[in-house]
Amino acid sequence: MNTQLFLIQVFNGLVNGAFYAMLSLGLAVIFGMLRIVNFAHGALYMLGAFTAFALGQAFGLGFWPALIIAPILVGLLGAVLERTLLSRLYGLEPSYNLLLTFGLTLLTQDLVKQVMLSRFAVSSAPYSPPAALSGVVNLGFVVFPKYRLFVIALSLVVCMLTWFVIEKTRVGSIIRASTENPGVTRAFGIDVGKWVTGVFAVGVGLAGLAGVLAAPIYSVEPYMGAELIITTFAVVVIGGLGSILGSVITGFAVGVLAAVGAAFYPPIANTLVFILMFVVLLVRPSGLFGLPEGAR
Amino acid sequence: MTVIPRAATPTDRERTTRAVWLAGLGLLLLILPKLIYPVLALDILAWGLFAVAFDLLFGFSGLLSFGHAAFWGSSAYVTASLLSHGQSVPVALLGGTLSALALAVPVAFLSVRSSGIYFSMITLAFAQMISFLALQWTDLTGGENGLQGFDRPSVLGLDFSNSTTRYYVCLLLFAVGFAVAWRTVRSPFGRAQQAVRDNEPRAQSIGYDPQRFKFTAFLISATLAGLAGSMYTFGHGVVSLEVVNWRTSGEVVMMTLLGGTTTLVGPVIGAGLVLLLRDQLTTANLPVGIVTGIVFVLVVLFFRRGVVGTVQHWTRRK
Amino acid sequence: MKIKTLTALLITTALSAAHAQTLSDNAVKIGVLTDLSGVYSELSGQGSVKAAQMAADDFMKANKAYAGKVSVTGVDHQNKADVASNKAAEMIDRQNVDMMVDMPTSSTALAATEIGRQKKVISMVVTGGTTALTNEKCNKYTFHYAYDNYMLANGTGTAITKRGGSSWYIIYPNYAFGQDLNRQMTAAVQENGGKLVAPSDATPFPNTDFSTYLLKAQSLKPKIFGTMQAGNDLVNVVKQYNEFGLKKQGIGLGIGLLFETDVAALGQDAYAGALATVPWFWNFDARSRVWAAKFEKAFGKKPTWAQAGVYSATTTYLNAVMRAKTDNSDAVVKELEGSSFDDFFARHASIRPQDHRVLLDVHTVMVKAKADAKEPGDIYTRLSTIPAAKAFMPLAESKCKMQ
Repeated sequence: MNTQLFLIQVFNGLVNGAFYAMLSLGLAVIFGMLRIVNFAHGALYMLGAFTAFALGQAFGLGFWPALIIAPILVGLLGAVLERTLLSRLYGLEPSYNLLLTFGLTLLTQDLVKQVMLSRFAVSSAPYSPPAALSGVVNLGFVVFPKYRLFVIALSLVVCMLTWFVIEKTRVGSIIRASTENPGVTRAFGIDVGKWVTGVFAVGVGLAGLAGVLAAPIYSVEPYMGAELIITTFAVVVIGGLGSILGSVITGFAVGVLAAVGAAFYPPIANTLVFILMFVVLLVRPSGLFGLPEGAR
Repeated sequence: MTVIPRAATPTDRERTTRAVWLAGLGLLLLILPKLIYPVLALDILAWGLFAVAFDLLFGFSGLLSFGHAAFWGSSAYVTASLLSHGQSVPVALLGGTLSALALAVPVAFLSVRSSGIYFSMITLAFAQMISFLALQWTDLTGGENGLQGFDRPSVLGLDFSNSTTRYYVCLLLFAVGFAVAWRTVRSPFGRAQQAVRDNEPRAQSIGYDPQRFKFTAFLISATLAGLAGSMYTFGHGVVSLEVVNWRTSGEVVMMTLLGGTTTLVGPVIGAGLVLLLRDQLTTANLPVGIVTGIVFVLVVLFFRRGVVGTVQHWTRRK
Repeated sequence: MKIKTLTALLITTALSAAHAQTLSDNAVKIGVLTDLSGVYSELSGQGSVKAAQMAADDFMKANKAYAGKVSVTGVDHQNKADVASNKAAEMIDRQNVDMMVDMPTSSTALAATEIGRQKKVISMVVTGGTTALTNEKCNKYTFHYAYDNYMLANGTGTAITKRGGSSWYIIYPNYAFGQDLNRQMTAAVQENGGKLVAPSDATPFPNTDFSTYLLKAQSLKPKIFGTMQAGNDLVNVVKQYNEFGLKKQGIGLGIGLLFETDVAALGQDAYAGALATVPWFWNFDARSRVWAAKFEKAFGKKPTWAQAGVYSATTTYLNAVMRAKTDNSDAVVKELEGSSFDDFFARHASIRPQDHRVLLDVHTVMVKAKADAKEPGDIYTRLSTIPAAKAFMPLAESKCKMQ
């Protein structure tokens, strides 16, 4: 492979990696605090994209307002789901929450499909990049769409910001404390339950944000998150659950590796991430950045 | 000191309840093709055994596999492929079942080292890979066209083109599979398996190797899922990519939960209910996903004991 | 004596004409096996059921002897082959369905037609497109209406190359449908003097990101970028084709399989200038418009070609029943085989007895820009019509061994 093609694939991989990173980051944040894996993450990603489309149709709102409003709406929905449904299952096997969110996935996908068909008469919704970011830019080795560069940049900023908040701020220390020892944290007069809801909302808000970012480049349809969430699970297994920075690094790395691998042999693109997962499982069962099972 | 789970010392009353459930299920399955369309009844047998196999791992080992479609599906494909290459029905059924076992060895080896949510995600990822393979490997699977129109040559004078005949052959296979599951959970192995589920460190401290128990339980479960998958192919005469889809893995979870985990009879009833619902939805003007999604959510939230578990709970309290 | 016999004969004939007496359970039942809840429901779905119902109503109105005797039921196969096969068997065994129609997706069409073969019930496949139906899997009771992969690739490849699209770069999804389409398209391009600037690339399926291939197209600079993707994959390709600005760089778009719903998914401007082959579209002439208006009035939406095809297939079947004076499948098959007909959908149509391919005129079209649309739903400009005899796979190439 020549350098030019390699560089092109790195950029393509970073775009895909941006979505893996944002989704697995959200999963990691939620897992850290609630010890549950949110299967509905893919459906909420889709809901983010769909909300951006619906905001445009209903209120004429463009990409920029949607980029702020849609993740907030998805986050609010997440808060409602956490308070009314997920919270009923705390104290049980975490598997039950996985199952609950699986059911919610089926429900959300088909509800959105019904709305799309009956209200907008489309099975997949049209959405374009904002005017300021449409068109291409010459990077020297390749002519690349401006919007995709924006996706890479924004997702890096968002991921770093999330990491910074959790690791370096007071809010983050409360989150980490209630993650590690809810009892003691409560004894200090901190309402852990409130933080749980907030963290869940932020986690799914990240999925919503990823969805809005995806809307201008990928087909906006009810099942757009279904395959993606399974791939993201594999990314999470590779990186190891619970590590914020680990999930971000793994997300981008897997995206790039898959794209470079696909340049050699295109049909492998879908399976490469799973092959990577096998290798990692053989060598490090708890993932690259995960702590060994006993330590968790 | 030994670990004695409750199942080891059933009271007389529990024993009677269990016998009543078994007899009821047996009777229902015997007359099922008279009550509903025989091919649908065949489906209930196949999915029912699939759910029993899943429950063996989920209910009795505490391992939530989100990728059991891989074993069900690969067996379904291998069975169909053997039949279309002119093999006899017994060979095809056996071949399918064994292929599921063969696939389960590496998957179990890699996945039982993890537990909880991790285990679920790993099995899901494996199944997804099998699903990609099924799409590519068109010589075996027929790709998106699927496989259909293969012969099911008669054996011992049994005409397999008759769906009622197929039903009773499958009922026999189902009984075998169900008996294996029944014996497994009541054997010393099964008790140890449940001890590992309930308290892994404790089971370990008295000399059990949890990994080994989980590994074996996984293999038994996958093999039974394989038997169910080959029954499914034999029953329908059709296999398509749907059998390896992640939704199939989810569906079997729903059947098991709805019927009641750790009851063995429950998953079969759950399978029956889900399939009857799905059948009703083909002519009702309701979207399948919304209805099944709502059922799923409601069951997980309010009905975790499932049908059989709930009834047992009531009778026990009286 | 002689007069008596003659009278008896006359009476019998009159009776049979009046009552269509040899119908099984005195009714013709049509089962629309379709996707009522999934991804193809907009394309076929309830609209297909409505179209079949309209065909039945129109037929009964025109042939009083059948008044009240033709009924239509719609069944959701949920895009699952096992459900399709169960429901096909059940419709036939329990509801005495005499003919099945529509069947979107290849696996459900093949599963249901296999049941039809075993139970001797006629299938008219409209929305399922696999050429296997008239090749390896052909059988006495299965007829393939509307379109198939060969017709799509052959039509589009030929038309574009003849219009000067002489250099191509093709991508196709790596499964049987895509491989098939790629093979046909490549052959059509080369036969008409076009060339491929690089070997076709197989893409993963399903796939969302096609940037690798679009960037490759950018550097290869072919006149035509051919995409054999379908459904959501196609929507992704076209969305990204626009995003990467390929059109502005003078690279045209050739599409293997294009449904009206794909155009709606991005808006027609995203597709403007793209070429494809379709069996029908609602406003291609006055005759089509008349039917489309009727359908829109009854259903509330413009018909897709799949729905129009269901109407036509149902009508063709019912007319054969009338000619055969029975709904016995063997007799109806005999009427259908080799018959010629012409309706608003199927122009210059005939049914090839050797493989049961329904031959009809098909059209190569170019997607209009929104600004050029004269009315809502006006998306295609017709470039040419491929006559029925040339549109489909020649018999010599067919692998069908009819029994």
